[in-house]
Amino acid sequence: MLKYSLRRLLGMIPMLILISIVVFSLAKIMPGDSLSGEIDPNNTNPEYIAEMREKLGYNDPLPVQYFNWITGFMQGDFGKSTKYKTPVADVIIEKLPNTLFLGIMALVITYILAFLMGMYSGRKPYTIGDNAIAGINYVMLAIPSFVAAVFAIYFFAFQLNWFPFGGSVDIIVEEGTPEYWLSRLHHVLLPAIVLGAMSTASYTQFLRNDIIENSRKDYVRTARAKGTPIAKIYNVHILRNSIIPLVTFLGFDFAALIGGAIITETIFTYPGIGQLFLDSVSSRDYPTLMALTMLLSFLTLAGNLLADLLYGIVDPRIRMD
Amino acid sequence: MKNKSLFLLLAMLLVVSAFLAACGGGSSSETSNESDTKEKAAEGEPQKGGTLVYGIDAPPEGLFNAAFYGIQTDAEVISLYDEALIEYNEKLEPIPNVASWETEDNKVFTFTFKEGVKWHNGEELTVNDWVFAFETIANKDYDGPRYTNVQTIEGAEAFRNGEADSISGLEVISDYEIKITFDEARVNNLTNLWAYPLPESVLGDVPVAEMSASEWVRTTPIGIGPFKVDKIVPGESVEFSRNDEYWNGDVNLDKIILRVIDNTSVVGALQNGDVDMISLQPVTAPEVKPLENINITTYPGLTYYYVGFKLGKFDSEKQTITEEVPKYQSKELRQAMMYAMNRQEWVDAFFFGYANVVNKPVPSAHWNAADDSELNTYEYDPEKAKQILDDAGYVDTNGDGFREDPNGDEFVVKFTHYATGNPTFESRAQAITQYWEAVGLKSELEMVEVNLYYEMVEKDDPAIETFFGGWGTGVDPDPSGLWKADQLWNYPRYNNPESDKLLDDALNIEIVGDDQEKRKELYVEWQKIVNEDLPMLYIAELEEIVALNKRVGGATYDVSGQNNPAEWYVTE
Repeated sequence: MLKYSLRRLLGMIPMLILISIVVFSLAKIMPGDSLSGEIDPNNTNPEYIAEMREKLGYNDPLPVQYFNWITGFMQGDFGKSTKYKTPVADVIIEKLPNTLFLGIMALVITYILAFLMGMYSGRKPYTIGDNAIAGINYVMLAIPSFVAAVFAIYFFAFQLNWFPFGGSVDIIVEEGTPEYWLSRLHHVLLPAIVLGAMSTASYTQFLRNDIIENSRKDYVRTARAKGTPIAKIYNVHILRNSIIPLVTFLGFDFAALIGGAIITETIFTYPGIGQLFLDSVSSRDYPTLMALTMLLSFLTLAGNLLADLLYGIVDPRIRMD
Repeated sequence: MKNKSLFLLLAMLLVVSAFLAACGGGSSSETSNESDTKEKAAEGEPQKGGTLVYGIDAPPEGLFNAAFYGIQTDAEVISLYDEALIEYNEKLEPIPNVASWETEDNKVFTFTFKEGVKWHNGEELTVNDWVFAFETIANKDYDGPRYTNVQTIEGAEAFRNGEADSISGLEVISDYEIKITFDEARVNNLTNLWAYPLPESVLGDVPVAEMSASEWVRTTPIGIGPFKVDKIVPGESVEFSRNDEYWNGDVNLDKIILRVIDNTSVVGALQNGDVDMISLQPVTAPEVKPLENINITTYPGLTYYYVGFKLGKFDSEKQTITEEVPKYQSKELRQAMMYAMNRQEWVDAFFFGYANVVNKPVPSAHWNAADDSELNTYEYDPEKAKQILDDAGYVDTNGDGFREDPNGDEFVVKFTHYATGNPTFESRAQAITQYWEAVGLKSELEMVEVNLYYEMVEKDDPAIETFFGGWGTGVDPDPSGLWKADQLWNYPRYNNPESDKLLDDALNIEIVGDDQEKRKELYVEWQKIVNEDLPMLYIAELEEIVALNKRVGGATYDVSGQNNPAEWYVTE
């Protein structure tokens, strides 16, 4: 398995180089650059803009720009954000904890809800309850997250006053105290519910189908014949087998955790990676944009590898050589 | 332009506001809440203490220093804890703040600082901090955009090129007195001069190239204003507390909490009292107006919108207009297109009454703005537009219902507007082409993504014929940078030596001296010319809109912006 992992890891390198070339070219082909938003006679003048273009190397040929960027990148220098004027690594590290916190909370909510709904549906397939769950799931999947976010803010924050309407923490509380963490939790719950509850469909349906399939297998019949209580069959025997395929999803969730939720973060003014990514595209902040794309590409590839490896571990029939 | 990502959100806002309006419809229609447009929220005496929540609708970038910031949002944050040495009154004329000045020839100025003004770290403010600011901005490693405000000082260029160790035009007389010599006498030397000191006590050891990333700019900025920065949560909030050693009178509030509030949440946050004070987009104002706990205040803005014609092509190497584009050279055609537009209707429809029709490229609040009585106001008159077009030879010769050009060839007005996520842009652009079609000019609209759009406009792309644009002007009323034939940002490529000469004369100290009336005369003369010539069709100037909770008092606004935050107070 070690050999297999190494082979997969090596295989990622050309893939990442290819991704970096494509993304870099796409970013550069986009009209405008990080300075085109600065046309403002109060603040600046054409000479300054021309000078900065030269300084940032925007006048060099594309391959030269790419080469300069990739050499820095290989040496761990992600460049300096043109928008924030600080090293990209600092900008990302500043936003990362927020995004991770939100992502993990959302994932936990998704898992809990999907688990409950999936188990119920799998046990009582084709009943009204099962259909209702499927219906709700698909409606949730279809509602765009920004609509859900705005409605959630309207009802839960403004009408009921249960949650704050935005931000990641109340600035008045002292950092590091229990109140601080409570405040963070309070702030993250509403966006996490919006994110988590809206994306339960795939997990729920996957689990449901797997339970139905398993319940027709021989070992279930044997267990029944032995007089094992139905509840035990479902909650222990079938569930254990049905969770296995779900493990593969974990790998894909990996990149999504870091990638953040672009729209949700923006509406909740929750400063995270998603918001940063959107900003870096619209302000043509190439160093940030490239660093984030590379990070997310790497995580997606790594997530895939992780999923494959986990699958091999939980299901010994699959051999990796 | 500065808040591009906002437009995307405005799109969502529109969708959602329809729902919200339906939800909350019951109460809003009955309350006849005559919002007084002229400030003064709460009655009575200023009260001490309390916390005010100040909202901004886009996250700041975090460059919290006047010398380094790039976007307006950061400037808004800075204005709460720092102030300029020189301020501007409601006519945008400079008035002394910390510094007062004397000059005889507009070339050499002597500035005197008030004594005992303290930075938030306890150090006293001296003229050396100002010199430090000049030298930082003129340093070749400086990465901000403010060098234009320093380069007119004598010797700044030599300092920047490394030929001198100091700026020769700066002569420190004492800790509170400094003599500044400019490279030549100009009428606008003072308004152009960089007027924010930089705290040498904390930034003195930081290399210039690293300043914008340093903690003194990012997380622990200091200033000389009525409030100090206590804490910054990047991208979402800032906590300010009262500066007890403020030099200019008492400060009423204990604290100001600044919060970033997404556009979709602004109305709800105002209604619930979660925010006390926030600037509004025109599209949000009609929703805020019915709220019982909120007053809306407006004040004149410095932004105007126009439809430009491409009259030539610009060579940015030679800095001249090299060729003429013939299609829109006919002045009669341009005037007819102006008469054809119902600008009032357009403004009411797309800016909800928070904008006014303009007839000149100078915001009306400026002291040099010409009065409408001196200009042609181009009242909406489609019949007159048709008449002018008939007389100029634009008649329908092939019977397709649209006019041909004087040579009898097909004539199509190509109009380009920038596209962001904002869904109202396309309809407002469509409305303009419909006005032109109504007088028989066939018009086509193209929406172009905003980044590409400005690149095309700047490079005189042949696909751009008539285009929509907007400019914001600052305290200096001189429009040369946007209008003279040798300027890149003269997007219509308007080339009129008479106009250029007037603009030069208005800045020429030998002609106008320090007589503001005389300058105004020249600017009015110039406005008459561009009002007649119409290289662009002036459409509207915006009003700035602020929503204030009724518990907030002491906040007043004029064209130069908000008053000193020290005077704000809250009543419970």
